[in-house]
Amino acid sequence: MPVSTNRIDKIEKSIIYIVLFVFIGLTMFPLIWVFTTSLKPNDESMSFPPKLIPEKVTLENYFFVMTNSTIVKSLYNSLIVSVGSMILNVSICALAGYGLARFEFRAKSILLYVILALFTIPIIVNIIPLYSILANLNMLNSLLSLILTFQILIIPLNVVLLKNYFETIPKEVEESALIDGCSKFGVLRRIIIPLSLPGLAVAAIFSFIFSWNEFVLPIVLANSPDSTLFQVALYQFISIYRIEWGYLSAGIVVALVPVIILIIAFQRQMIKGFTLGSLRG
Amino acid sequence: MMTFSKTEPYLYLVPALSILFLFLLFPFFWNVYISLHQVSITSILKEWRFSGTDNFVQVLNDPNFHTSVKVSAIFVGSSVTFQFLIGLLISSLLNQNIRGKQLLIAVVMIPWITSGLIAAFSFKFIFDNSFGIINYFFNSIGLHSIPWLSDPNTVIWSIVIANVWYGTPFTILFLTAGLLSVNPSIYESAKIDGASKLKSFFYLTLPLIKPFILLDVVLITIWSINFFEIPLIMTGGNPLFASTPASLYMYRQAFEFGLLSKGSAAGILLLMINIMVAIIYIVALKKRG
Repeated sequence: MPVSTNRIDKIEKSIIYIVLFVFIGLTMFPLIWVFTTSLKPNDESMSFPPKLIPEKVTLENYFFVMTNSTIVKSLYNSLIVSVGSMILNVSICALAGYGLARFEFRAKSILLYVILALFTIPIIVNIIPLYSILANLNMLNSLLSLILTFQILIIPLNVVLLKNYFETIPKEVEESALIDGCSKFGVLRRIIIPLSLPGLAVAAIFSFIFSWNEFVLPIVLANSPDSTLFQVALYQFISIYRIEWGYLSAGIVVALVPVIILIIAFQRQMIKGFTLGSLRG
Repeated sequence: MMTFSKTEPYLYLVPALSILFLFLLFPFFWNVYISLHQVSITSILKEWRFSGTDNFVQVLNDPNFHTSVKVSAIFVGSSVTFQFLIGLLISSLLNQNIRGKQLLIAVVMIPWITSGLIAAFSFKFIFDNSFGIINYFFNSIGLHSIPWLSDPNTVIWSIVIANVWYGTPFTILFLTAGLLSVNPSIYESAKIDGASKLKSFFYLTLPLIKPFILLDVVLITIWSINFFEIPLIMTGGNPLFASTPASLYMYRQAFEFGLLSKGSAAGILLLMINIMVAIIYIVALKKRG
């Protein structure tokens, strides 16, 4: 009965597509709604009935966000912290991943277990002690403190990811370089790092996005006007401007831009890196 | 053969381990110390008075804490159930032979790379009592408006919906990776044996990806227990404590009411719940062999 199986296949396929598109519609709807709101003049964004497509498209909300000195300062802070945290994180995770991938030593499996267990430890139970410690060291409201504390969010994932990546590079390449008189550090710099650039890129993107999106640590540890991060500045829209949805939605779109660009550019590598990092442990 | 001294491998790990020690392990113990003393935001730089288990007694006798544990149970239970079931459905559909798979996966991932703050604000906007689009939609099909964010009985479902939206992509991605690890030739032989697609899904696929399912459920459970950005931003935990899970209870005690040591005690209780979940996970893994 080739004909009827064919028909069943077709029906099945259409059901699959319908379910997927309904799901994608529900997934995208809140963000599309925010995006169109960001293009509406302020009186229209809170009008009733709500309109999905703005009657009059305006950039005034973006103009407000990009010229408000508090918000611009917070964007600048967020960039410093995210890039700083990314550089620090990739450096220390590359070293640790390399150590775990290339050497056999006594405490190796214990250390690996500890790092994997840290995946599941809730960072947030640490916010109160971190606040108290940094207050006593007079290190609250400092971007450096944020860069350092953000590391605990990302180290477990990136160490495992990079360890697994380094293991895919054959040992023989390194050994022949060592025989040719290259120093160990030279091998790391001239051979390992260039060969693992795709893995390092994924680790870098993960740490950038984690830092860019982090909210709880910065709102507790750094909420003075000078040290506010962008996500915290958006949160403060609630109290300062009594939720001006137009401005807020423009701010949300601005917060999404760097992340979306990174995802589109590195989508394939990210899915691969994600599976490498989480699955082979 | 590469040669190296005994200490060399440890040197590579020193930077990562020292940061983990300073900012993760040490604060852990510091938390216990705070919870046994009387510390508030205003007295943090003064001398701390030892108070024994007072803070724990206070938390355990606080009716608001009882509410927050109930809220946590509903929040975690329904978030995990929906995230897992929707994630399993969508990832198995994405695993079928369909066109544009790569692009679909990328689109499905989007909520996961937004921040908790963006998820919370987007849904606060949609659920708004007066101009929110959901109530508008309800009205236009003849239903009454629902006070999504102000009714103590409804508000928990609003934060669950936002959390399911935000968290489901992780499960989709994770289970997609699991499904990709299954050798497709298994299905071919099942087909020859005359097994229907649904049958081979329940009897072949699910057992094969069981390790992925188990780890996924544990991770999303632990994350949901500890995650409070969405209720904090959508409702501030209000009305009263109706949308305050235990994790947000900890935060509010410390940073809304300034009672750091009461918050610490709540945090330690929270940690114990986490450890219990982890133990259940380890036992389940051991049973698997």
